[in-house]
Amino acid sequence: MFMRYMGLALMLAMGFISYSEEAKAAEPECGLNTGEKATGEPIVVGGINGNAPPGDFSGGTDAAAAYFHCVNDNGGINGRPIKYIVENDQWNPELAAQVATKLVKDDGVVALVGNGSVVSMAVNAKLYKDEDVMAMASACAISDCYENSNIVSSNQGPLPSGIGALKFAVEELGTEHAACIGFNIPNNGGWACDWAGKYMESVGKKSTALLMDPSAVDLNSVYLQALAEGVDTIMLMLPAGPALGILKVAEEQDGGDTFKWISPTPLYDPTIPAALGDYWDNKLYVNIELGPFNSDGPDNQNWIAVMDKYGEKEDRRDTFSQSGYLSAKFFVETLLKMDSAEINRTNVTKAIKGISGLTSDLLCGPYYVGDFDRHMPNHAGRMVVYSENEFKVVRDCYDIDSSYLEPIREQERQLRLIQ
Amino acid sequence: MKIYALFLISGLAVGSLYALGGIGLVVLRRATGFLNFAYGAIAAASAMICWQFIDWGFAGPVSWLMSILTGVALSVFFGRFFASGLAWREPVVKAVATLGFALIILGLISFIWDDAARKLVLPTDKIGFRLMEVRITVTRVIAFGASLLIALGMILYLEKTKTGLLMRALANNRAHSALIGIPILRVETIAWALSGALAGFTGMMFGDLVRLDPTIITFMVIPAIAAAICGRLESLFLTFIGGLSIGVAEAMLTLVKTAAPFRSLVPFVVAVLVILWMQRKQRLVFQTED
Repeated sequence: MFMRYMGLALMLAMGFISYSEEAKAAEPECGLNTGEKATGEPIVVGGINGNAPPGDFSGGTDAAAAYFHCVNDNGGINGRPIKYIVENDQWNPELAAQVATKLVKDDGVVALVGNGSVVSMAVNAKLYKDEDVMAMASACAISDCYENSNIVSSNQGPLPSGIGALKFAVEELGTEHAACIGFNIPNNGGWACDWAGKYMESVGKKSTALLMDPSAVDLNSVYLQALAEGVDTIMLMLPAGPALGILKVAEEQDGGDTFKWISPTPLYDPTIPAALGDYWDNKLYVNIELGPFNSDGPDNQNWIAVMDKYGEKEDRRDTFSQSGYLSAKFFVETLLKMDSAEINRTNVTKAIKGISGLTSDLLCGPYYVGDFDRHMPNHAGRMVVYSENEFKVVRDCYDIDSSYLEPIREQERQLRLIQ
Repeated sequence: MKIYALFLISGLAVGSLYALGGIGLVVLRRATGFLNFAYGAIAAASAMICWQFIDWGFAGPVSWLMSILTGVALSVFFGRFFASGLAWREPVVKAVATLGFALIILGLISFIWDDAARKLVLPTDKIGFRLMEVRITVTRVIAFGASLLIALGMILYLEKTKTGLLMRALANNRAHSALIGIPILRVETIAWALSGALAGFTGMMFGDLVRLDPTIITFMVIPAIAAAICGRLESLFLTFIGGLSIGVAEAMLTLVKTAAPFRSLVPFVVAVLVILWMQRKQRLVFQTED
């Protein structure tokens, strides 16, 4: 009888400990983590997203807003709260220029964090450079975003993620000739497919770029074009919606086994498994730019905890959100090292450009900025396969091989991050 | 030769959707004088409603019916509450009013449904047969067959039924029709409902065969208008042929590498060429006797 009570007590104790640890794990950790609200003079920070048809790129700014809220509830930046102003450019170039000018010139932001807008990056890259304000972006997808001295993003974008997917396909799936299906946008699909082609050439394989207009509706013809080209692999260098459209056509034609199917990150989204179905089990491989959503890593768990406590219910929980969290976290860590009385745009820009060697379980390599004419700190990723209604990691962190990265590797050598 | 056949089959499926859209536009235009730019947005809302009902677990037929009813409801709503007040305005004013309605619907869709990945699947997607190594699903056959039957049905409806006669009378001269006692509002409401039902059906087919993207479906109105222009906004048969031709030309251009990235320009090019051809006959496309 005694042993039974002891056993019961032990189980209860274990349960309590486990509950406490769970409760503790669910509590987010942000900035100074003091548990006291910051009350000093606000530090004004901006963010621009594009949230309107054809896409919602607000995940980065949503996560940054949640993290800053958490930081403000936990001592702020040495007592000063962050006033985060987010603008939506609605994919409108004119509006993108207006909101950026408002944030940079009227509101006097010290930096922009969590930016996620294809339009804004293209339109405002020059403004950021001219005004010497840094944008720690989270959802870059075009070349202008990576080839600018004042924009640095924590997401990879289509170029490294696409080449990462191809590298896996060549090494693990035996790809000889790949089709890169992308949008006919020079600084997006054209740019990424061009470099994917150069990678394939460098390893002695073939590639064919099949570019289509973003408004093209006849996806069946795109699929047939790939069939006519005689490729053995199809890479969907597309946003999730059209990529799903092509997968549906392929399913209709029973093309799941005719080709090897690979994709950069856009198809890694919590809403994708429900839209794919059993047909694609173990047939669709996706390169992911940041850690898996279900990873036990401390930053991934903290991202979930921050979003649960400080995010809005409708906030997206996707790669852009992870990326927004990461940009905001690195930004706060940088500000915390500064004298809070001397936080102004000039000093913040200098401090951000001084970032080097920051790490996170969400990333496969160090995060850095440096005073360079281009930035792409995140170029190593993981590969997952769609299986049994979820994505499973099939290759952990690996870097890509591309001559595009030569100036990036040189930066890393200068910062002594690699030999 | 076989490769051309493959693209021909592929183009016919998309072309039949353009034809369906064009037919819905022409039927409405003939009866009411409205060139409905909201047709695509109504189709998009219908497709989203269909997906929503399937997602809620409703039986397929209920979801499909809801899709068509949504098209009818939105179309009749505009027809009864807005279009009647604009009946005597210029064709351009009428067209711009429908454009405003399209933007309202698109805004509502974005408000109700977030940007999550969705797929509309119909049971007929799973059934199919092979023709020249291309698997043709029953959904594609339905889209093609429906556009053909609807074109024929509408021609017969307008020619052989009393309501059809009244619609033709309205199209010829609205003022005279009113004077001889034709119930204009009732006839126009029927035209709006018919057009809405076609939009609902087209949206559902488009969401399944192309992709469930409200913006893409909304802008499907452009090739549909191009198809309608091929029929001079009057002939249902020529609209049907125009829609199919645009779809096939778009698909065939995929084979021309330099032109393939720009093949979505086909509807515009076709529309411009047809308008130029009609201008040759000194006829203003959008002008009615009203």
